[in-house]
Amino acid sequence: MGLIRLVAFGFLVLSVMYLAISWYSRSVRREKLEESWLQDHPGDTESEARAAYIRDGMIKYESGLRKKLILLVYVIPIVAALALLFIINAY
Amino acid sequence: MRKLRITLLAVLAVILGAFLQYTLPQHDVVRIVNTYQERQDLNDWTRIFWATPDNQAAELINRDVQFIQTVKKKSWLFGFIRRDAEGVMVYRNEDTGWSWPPYLKFDTASLQTEADDLRSTPEAPKWAVMTHYGWRNELLSTFPNAVAIRPIAGPDVTIIPWFNIFFFVFVIVAWLFLRAMWRQFRQRSIDPLLEKGEDAFDQVENSAERARGRIGRWLDSWRGPKKK
Repeated sequence: MGLIRLVAFGFLVLSVMYLAISWYSRSVRREKLEESWLQDHPGDTESEARAAYIRDGMIKYESGLRKKLILLVYVIPIVAALALLFIINAY
Repeated sequence: MRKLRITLLAVLAVILGAFLQYTLPQHDVVRIVNTYQERQDLNDWTRIFWATPDNQAAELINRDVQFIQTVKKKSWLFGFIRRDAEGVMVYRNEDTGWSWPPYLKFDTASLQTEADDLRSTPEAPKWAVMTHYGWRNELLSTFPNAVAIRPIAGPDVTIIPWFNIFFFVFVIVAWLFLRAMWRQFRQRSIDPLLEKGEDAFDQVENSAERARGRIGRWLDSWRGPKKK
């Protein structure tokens, strides 16, 4: 029962973290795309080409490695908990 | 107002500090004298100072708890400054199980055996490092919970609190990350909304002014020319 509660709460907390970090990472990527476009095309903040450039960049991000790395939010705490379980009880 | 703010912040800091001091692991240099087991009543508010190893234990109002009696090297400042003096310390030995604090300790019986194995006399002392969390309070009958025990050659040993170092580094990194996230959120999501809101507000104000101008002119047309 305690394990079920720990897993349920842990999953909830980690999911909130996962969503927040995903949003942050996506937002930072979009900002970088906007800045790199502005450097090549000074003064252009509205055009169709800019929107397409940012859209392409975001599509690349969605299938990239960085997005998958955010899943470590789930992996690291589980590994840490298992390591703790082992260290505390096996020694 | 400023004084109130400072007071509230100080109270919060003390509560947080006490919580961390209770929960984080600490190390004592001890010599084990004896171990015993005693029935404990768990039916008043001091229940919070005892573990909840499993669901049955949450419903029981009394149960047997194992204890480890030791002679302890006294220290200042959370064990960082060693003193020559010795005192006594009694630890409880309970499973924390899957509940708070998250030590995931299930080896109470083994730990008790290790402690029994390390029992020694003042004439031929065997020293050990006891890892524990919690507080000893004689008035409330609370005991720190022993988490691990490790024999050492002599009482003069350097203990590096690796877990706590790692923990505080993690807290600082997490805080910086949260701050960066909040800034990004404000800059990308809240500020544009506010700007849009300001634009809309300006428009309403302009049109109101224009309307007032129209009505004012119409009213003026009834009043006749202004007197100088």
